[in-house]
Amino acid sequence: MDKFLTFTIAGLSSAAIYAIAASGLVVTYTTSGIFNFAHGAFGMLAAFTYWQVNQAWGVPTIPAVIIVVFVAAPLFGAVVERVIMRGIEGASEVVKIVVTVSLMVALLGLAQVIWPPDVARPVPPFFEGRFVEFVGVRVPWSRLLALVVAALVAVGLRLLFTRTRLGIAMRAVVDDRSLLQLNGGRPGRTAMLSWGLGAALAAVSGVLYSTEQTLSAVTLTLLVVNTYAVAVVGRLRSLPGAFLGAVILGLAQSYVTGYINPELTVGPIALGNLAAALPAIMLFTVLLLQPEARLRSHSVVRPRSPQPVPSQRTALLGGVALVVVLAALGSLMAPADLILVTKGAGFALITLSLVPLTGYAGQISLAQMTFTGIGAVAMAAWGAGGSPLAVAASIAVCAVIGAVVALPALRLSGIYLALATAAFALFCTAMIFNQQQIVSGGTVQVPPLSIGPFTADTDFRQLVLLAVVFAVVGNLLVWLRRNAWGRRLAAMKDSPVACATLGLNLTSTKVGVFALSAAIAGAGGALAGRSFTADSFSLPASLPVTMLAVVGGIGSIAGAFIGGLLLGAIPIASTVFAANAIGVFRFVSIPVRDVLAFTPGMMGISLGREPDGAAPQIAVGYRAVGRSVPALVVSVVGAVTLWLATRFGLVARWSFVAALLVFVVAAVPLLPLVLSPRTPEDTAEPPRRTACGLWLLVATVAAAFIPWVDLVASNGVRIVLIVVLAALSARVAIGVLGVTPEQLRRPVAPSPDLVGVDRPLLRTDALEATRGLGLSEDEFEAEVDALRPVGVER
Amino acid sequence: MTEPLLELRGVRAGYGSIEVLHGVDLVVPPSAVVALLGPNGAGKTTTLSVACGLVQPTAGAVLVAGRNVVGVAPEVLAQRGLVTIPEGRGIFPNLTVRENLQMATLAGTPLSQVEEVAFGRFPRLAERRTQVAGTLSGGEQQMLALARGLAVDPAVLMLDELSMGLAPLVVEELYGIVAQIARSGTSILVVEQFARTVLGVADVAAIMVNGVVRRVGPPDEVEAELSSAYLGG
Amino acid sequence: MTAGEPVLRVEGLSVRFGGHLAVSDVSLDVHAGSISGLIGPNGAGKTTTFNAICGVTPPTSGRVLLEGQDLSRASTHQRARRGVGRTFQRLEVFSSLSVADNVRVGLEIRRGWSRRRRPAPQFLTGPDAFDLDADAEVDLIVDRLGLTELADVPVGALPTGSARKVELGRALAARPRVLLLDEPASGLDDRETDEFGVLLGELAAAGLGVLLVEHDVALVMRVCSELSVLNFGQVIASGPPAEVQSNHAVLDAYLGGRDDAATVAVTAAEAGVAIHPGEPGAGR
Repeated sequence: MDKFLTFTIAGLSSAAIYAIAASGLVVTYTTSGIFNFAHGAFGMLAAFTYWQVNQAWGVPTIPAVIIVVFVAAPLFGAVVERVIMRGIEGASEVVKIVVTVSLMVALLGLAQVIWPPDVARPVPPFFEGRFVEFVGVRVPWSRLLALVVAALVAVGLRLLFTRTRLGIAMRAVVDDRSLLQLNGGRPGRTAMLSWGLGAALAAVSGVLYSTEQTLSAVTLTLLVVNTYAVAVVGRLRSLPGAFLGAVILGLAQSYVTGYINPELTVGPIALGNLAAALPAIMLFTVLLLQPEARLRSHSVVRPRSPQPVPSQRTALLGGVALVVVLAALGSLMAPADLILVTKGAGFALITLSLVPLTGYAGQISLAQMTFTGIGAVAMAAWGAGGSPLAVAASIAVCAVIGAVVALPALRLSGIYLALATAAFALFCTAMIFNQQQIVSGGTVQVPPLSIGPFTADTDFRQLVLLAVVFAVVGNLLVWLRRNAWGRRLAAMKDSPVACATLGLNLTSTKVGVFALSAAIAGAGGALAGRSFTADSFSLPASLPVTMLAVVGGIGSIAGAFIGGLLLGAIPIASTVFAANAIGVFRFVSIPVRDVLAFTPGMMGISLGREPDGAAPQIAVGYRAVGRSVPALVVSVVGAVTLWLATRFGLVARWSFVAALLVFVVAAVPLLPLVLSPRTPEDTAEPPRRTACGLWLLVATVAAAFIPWVDLVASNGVRIVLIVVLAALSARVAIGVLGVTPEQLRRPVAPSPDLVGVDRPLLRTDALEATRGLGLSEDEFEAEVDALRPVGVER
Repeated sequence: MTEPLLELRGVRAGYGSIEVLHGVDLVVPPSAVVALLGPNGAGKTTTLSVACGLVQPTAGAVLVAGRNVVGVAPEVLAQRGLVTIPEGRGIFPNLTVRENLQMATLAGTPLSQVEEVAFGRFPRLAERRTQVAGTLSGGEQQMLALARGLAVDPAVLMLDELSMGLAPLVVEELYGIVAQIARSGTSILVVEQFARTVLGVADVAAIMVNGVVRRVGPPDEVEAELSSAYLGG
Repeated sequence: MTAGEPVLRVEGLSVRFGGHLAVSDVSLDVHAGSISGLIGPNGAGKTTTFNAICGVTPPTSGRVLLEGQDLSRASTHQRARRGVGRTFQRLEVFSSLSVADNVRVGLEIRRGWSRRRRPAPQFLTGPDAFDLDADAEVDLIVDRLGLTELADVPVGALPTGSARKVELGRALAARPRVLLLDEPASGLDDRETDEFGVLLGELAAAGLGVLLVEHDVALVMRVCSELSVLNFGQVIASGPPAEVQSNHAVLDAYLGGRDDAATVAVTAAEAGVAIHPGEPGAGR
C-alpha cells in the first residue's frame, strides 16, 4: 500500500509538470495556430538559465525563479513570436512544422554550446529536505509544490480566458483575426502575449522538472513529446483534456516504473525502457480513438508556385551524370574523405525519401532516421553475406511498419502525422535501438550488399552503389510523378475534398505514399554497408533530415540531393575544423563544430522569414541552378576544383573556406542568369552577363589565392571577414549584372500571349488588343464585358 | 456640403496579381447614409476592406476627415471611430454574447456603457448574455454586431451585406436601427448586393460595376439604372 | 415529371453546427433523367445540404438513399463510388494541374476503383462507350465543354467561369449517377449560360439525375422540372417551377406577410423565386 501511494504521489507530481507544460502548448496552439515543437526546448532553456542564475551566479531561489519565469521566458517567447512566428502565419502546415522543429534543434544546439553537456549541473529541489507525512508516506514538499502550481495554473488560465479582456481577445483572435482588428484589438500584440505566456508555462515546467530529475538538454527538449501526447487527449485544444491526459500519463509512467520488473523481457525486448515508450503508446491509442477528421474545403494556405517536374530524359541524364561524377570524384579521393562523401550519399538517399511524402503529398515525417535504423537493424539481422533478398525484406518491413505507423495519424490532419512520427521515433529508440539484445554494444553493423560477383565491400564501391540507387530511385520517383499516381498526389494536395468526392480514398492513398517513403528511408539503412551508432537513429538525428530536405527544396529530386549534401557537409566540416574555435572578443570561445551543430536549425528557421524558401533571391537563384544544366555543371566543377586545389596544397585551408563561401553565396545563385542564352524578351537594360561572370571568377580566385588569412590571427575575425567578403561579392555581382534574380523571375511586361492565362483578362487588355487589330472599339465593348472575371472579389 | 468624413480617391487594390478595384472614387458626407450597390464580384467588399484598412490600396488615397490614412492599421482606425461590421455577421461565434460585447470595448468605450446601449436597445441580447454567439439566430447575431456599432458611437459606420440570409422582416428591423444611428449623427456606408432593401434608408446611392463606381446620385434617380448594372451591360 | 424510383432520395436531413440548425428536416427527390433545382437566399443551407448528401459534413439526422441503397453510413469516397458526383460553390479545382489533367485525374481515380465498368454518358461518346481509352475520353470531355484550346493551361490561371466547367468535366469523368451542381453558372456570361443550359438538358437526357443550386433564376426556371425552395434550412416549398412560382401561400410565409409589390418582387428574386414569368430574374 505504501509503495502504491508513493508511486501515485510521484506519478501525480510528474502529471502536474506535464499538465503545466501541456497547457502552455495548448495556449500557443489555440491562439496562434502554430504547434510549437520547440515548447520543450523553451522549458529546457529556462531550466538551464535558472541553473545559471541560481547555482552559478548564486542568486537566491525566489528572485531567480522570478527572473526566469516572469521576465526572461515571457520576453523570449514574445521575441520568438515577433521575429519568427509572425512570418509563417498563413504558410503551409509543413513550413510551420519545419520552422518550429528547426527552432527546437537550434535551441538544443545553442544550449549545448553554452552549457557543454559533459559537466554535471545539479539543481537542488525546492524546499530541500522538507517532508510531509501522509498516511505513512513521506512526501517531499517539492512534489506538493508541483501539484499546487499546476492547480494555480489551471485556475489562472481559466480566469484569464473567461474573465479578462486580454484572455477573451486571445480567444477572439482564433475566431476571427481581422474582426478583432476591426474591433480595435491588436492581434499581433495578442499573439506575442500568448507566446510569452506559453514560454512562461514551459519555463515553469522545465524548472520543476529539472529539480526533480537531472538537468539534461536533450531530455528536457524531448519532453515535448510527452507533453503533446498529453495534449492530444484534449485534441490539442482543450485545457481540461490536457490535464486529464497528464494524469493518465504521469500515473502510468510511475506505476510502470514501480511495478514492472526491468529484467522482464518480451522476446528480445527488455521492458526496462517501457516508461520511456509510454508517451508514444498513449499517443497512438488516443489517435486510434479519435473520429476521422472532417474534410475541410479550401484550406487557407498561401498559394505556392508549382514545382516543375523534370522530363524523364532529364532525370535519366541527371542520374547517369550523378553516378559518373561521384565515381570519378571517389576514385580521386583520399580514404578519409571518401568515407565522408559516401556517408553524404547515404544521407542523400534518406532525404530523397521525403520527396514523395513531403514534396508531392504535402505530408511530413520526423522519423526518417528511425526507418533507416529499422532497415539497418533488419539487414544486420538477416543479411549476413549481403544477400539482396535480405535487402528487399528489410525494405518491405520498413514499408509495412511505415503504413501501420501512419494509418492512425493520416485519418487526422497533417500535424498529427508529425506528432505520431516523432513519438514513434522515441518509441523505437526505447524499444529497439537501446535494446542490448537487438543492438548490442550500441552499434549496428550493416553488411555490404553482394550481388553475384559484385560486393560493395570497399568505400568506393559503396559510393558507386549508393549513387546508382539514388539515381534509380530518383528516376522511379520522376516516372511516378509524371503518371497517374503523381497527378493524383498533386490533385490531393490542391483539393482533398474534391478528390474524395471523385471516389479517392484519401487515407489509403496517403498511407501508400508514407509506406513508399519509409521504404526508401529503410533502403538508406539496408544498403548503407557501414556501421551506425544507435544514436544516429534517434529523434534528434531525424529532425535535421526533414529540415534540410525542406530547405534544399523538397519538391525536386535535385533539392533532396542538395539537402543530403548539406547534411553530409556538416559532419565533414566538423571533422575539418575539429581543433578550431571561434573566439569572439576573447570572452567566449565557441568550437566550430558547435556552431555547425545548430546550423541546420538556423537554416530551417530562415524559412520563417520567407516561407517559400530561404532568402528569396538566393533561393530563386539556387532553384534555377537545378534547372540550368550549364549552371549545375559550373557549380559542381567549380566546387570540386576548389576542393582539389586545397587537397593538393595549392590553397590554404582558410582561403578554401573563403573562396567556397564566395563561390556558393555570390556565384552559384547568379550562374543561371550569367550562363543563360540571350532571349529576345530581355528587358530594356540587358543584364551585363559577361562582366558579372568575370567579377565572380575574379572574386573567387582572389579569395582562394591571396594569402590574406595569414595576416589575421584570430579565427573569429577571420570568419567575420569571410562572411563580409562573401556578402560584398554577392552585392557587387548583382550590381554589375544590373538585375536581381527576383526581378528576372517576374517579367516586368507580361507577354501578351499569357494575358488571360496568368491573370484575368481585363477590359484594358481587350481594348488594347482591339485597337491593335484596328477594330472598332464600340463593337467590342460587349464582348469585353463578357470576358471580365466574375467572383474575383474576396 | 461640408468636408466628407470618409473619402476614397482613385483607389486601386486587389489580391496578388488580380486587380479588383480600378480607381474607386467615393464620398461619405457627414451624417449621411451612403448605399454602395452592385452585383456579386463588383468589388464592394474590397472597397470596404480598403476603407477600414484591412486591404492596402496599390494606388489612390483614403481620407478620413480630410487626412490620408493609407497604411494606418485597421485597429488604429477602429480606435479613431471607424467601425466596420464585415460580411457574414461581425461577431465572434465561439465567444458568449457578453464576451463579444467586451471585445467591443477594445476601441475605448467602457463595458458598462456598451452593455447599457446593447441591452437597452436589444433586450433579447440581455436574455442571452451568457449564450455562445454562434448559437444565436441569424437576426440576433446581426443585432449583436450592430450593438457594437451603436454602443461605441462611431464617426463612421460601415456595414457589409447586413441582410445576408435574413428574413425580410428582420432586415427591415435592422435597417430601422441603421436609420436611427444615422439620425444620431453617424455617417454610414452600407454595402448591399440586393439594392432595394437599402434604398429607402439611403441618402446617396452609388452603383459599382467591374471595380469602378459607375453612378452616384439620389436613390430614386439611381434606382432606374440598377437593373442594367445587375444584368450586365 | 419522371415517375418511379428516384435516383437520389434525401429523407429528413438535418445538420446542426453547435447550436445552429443549418439544415432542418430537408427531404427531396432527384429522378434519373431530370433536373431538380434547389434555390433559396444566401445562407439558407443549400451548400450544407450538398455537403451532407455527399458525406463531407456529417448530418445530425436523416438518410440519403441512392437508387434505394442507404448511403448514410458511407464515407465521402464510398458515396462517390456509388455514383454521387458534385461541383463546388467555392472552386475546388486542382489549380496546379492543367485542364486536361484535372479531367484525367477524375477519370483515373474512377478507374482505380471501378471494377464494374459503368457506361460513359452517351452524349459524350456515342453508343460504343465501353471501349474508350483514357486519352480519348479526356479529349471528348474537354472538347464537349469547349475547353480544348485551354487543355494545357493550369486551371489556377483560368477565370472562374472556365474553372467551373473544368469542375463539371472532372465530375463527369467519374461517371456519376447523380450530379450535384453548386452554382455552376456563376462566372459564365449570358451566351455561356445558354450553352450550359443546353448541356444540362443533354446530361439529363443521357439518364443522369441533376440537383442544381443556382442563383440565375432564369436558368433554373428554364431547365428544372422540379424545384425546392430552401430558407432557414427548411424546405418551404417544392413542386414544378410553375407551381412554386404561383404559390402565394409560400410567398406570404416567405415574405413575412407583406404585399408591397416591389419589395415582394425583389425579395422573391433574392430567394430565387420569380413571381411573374415576365419579371427579370435579378438573382445575381
